[in-house]
Amino acid sequence: MSLFRREDLHSLAAPYALDALEPAERARFERHLKDCASCAADVRALSEDAVRLAWSAAAPPPSAMRDRVLAAVRTIPQESAVRPEPARARPEPVRARKSQLPPHVWGAQPPPRQRQRRPLFVPFATATAAAALVVASLFAVQANRTQDELDAQKAQASEIAHVLQAVDARATRGQDAQGRTIGVIASASEGRAVVTLSGYNAPPSGRVRQLWLMRPGEQPRSLGLFAADTPLVASGLDKSATSLAVTVEPDGGSPQPTTQPVVQLALKSVGFGE
Amino acid sequence: MEADELLLLVAGGDQMAFEELYGLVAGPVFGLVRRVVRDPAQSEEVSQEVLLETWRSAARFDPRRGSALSWILTLAHRRAVDRVRSARAAGEREQREARRAHHPAFDQVTEEVEAGLEREWVRRCLERLTELQRQSVTLAYYDGYTYREVAERLSLPLGTVKTRMRDGLTRLRECLGGAA
Repeated sequence: MSLFRREDLHSLAAPYALDALEPAERARFERHLKDCASCAADVRALSEDAVRLAWSAAAPPPSAMRDRVLAAVRTIPQESAVRPEPARARPEPVRARKSQLPPHVWGAQPPPRQRQRRPLFVPFATATAAAALVVASLFAVQANRTQDELDAQKAQASEIAHVLQAVDARATRGQDAQGRTIGVIASASEGRAVVTLSGYNAPPSGRVRQLWLMRPGEQPRSLGLFAADTPLVASGLDKSATSLAVTVEPDGGSPQPTTQPVVQLALKSVGFGE
Repeated sequence: MEADELLLLVAGGDQMAFEELYGLVAGPVFGLVRRVVRDPAQSEEVSQEVLLETWRSAARFDPRRGSALSWILTLAHRRAVDRVRSARAAGEREQREARRAHHPAFDQVTEEVEAGLEREWVRRCLERLTELQRQSVTLAYYDGYTYREVAERLSLPLGTVKTRMRDGLTRLRECLGGAA
């Protein structure tokens, strides 16, 4: 059906490598690439040439950008797997990616360089753009939401932005040997926190993940339930709080934890524990 | 550590590796984006997006298909071009053109960076291309024009521009071959 003969498509390899195609043409060329091994090699070589042009433009980045990006990275969950092609609904099997990833990701050995975790003392109020980016990125990983879910997320996003903009907002993150992470952005003055989990399997059916506030000499207090993979906004955190814990509980949550925490994170570095 | 190795660690959630990777790529990413986008504030914003996207989607990197640096810079270039095109579509074109009149396309940005051998080589090699090859390549890559727009600006047939782009890149490769 294509109006383009093959040789015409081939001639688009150089403009493609230079990002000089219009979106529709780019999409058509990328479809063609999938079935044309020689074009793929051609494009790869031309793209490497184009990247040489990129190198020649290097310039010192603004120093504030570093702080913002590194702070954001502490809270932004990563995509855990290659997104499956629409044609095949099955996600890529784990072993297909295994060879590309260091062994610790798969729990075969502990992370190689688990250096001391430092909190980042970046007041987010001075970095509103970064806050907006964090919020955008938190939701960018979640495709195919319904409008209601999107609306709910938008409301949640503004709550998250509120926490991010607190003068004393700080971020911390913990990672276990399996590479699963818990990220927290908290403001002690507001008693609020945004908590994200990544790398965890969905809880078994009929179960939910519940977030708990741990305080010295007191029972754990529920801060809410995680809905799928969206961040949880918790409020009413006491300054005396020492850590957060996550347990798997029956649907609807429990008044007190009934299982061992799957993860626990100290809050001292984000201004709590007084 | 090499960028390839670092990016694989980043795919496993290693923040320290990301910090190290940042040190390697932030300059090239920011410089490239600014070369295309020009506006400093917007360039910073796009660069941040690119670096965060690197973090987020590091697992998609496949070392068999190219180097980490080229993966990241390709992403940066794509985002910068998207930004500059939507800005043009939004009617900022004249503003940009006016601004550019005060900033000659080739020298302005690079002058303030400490001289790099690679950059010197690229510049020399660009000079060795024919005028049409050089313009076809740089109008697309550094200014974010589509090949159709390049053809229009240079008053050339589409087929000629596509060929000049390929020849330009190929000659660049030959010239740079010994410099890597």
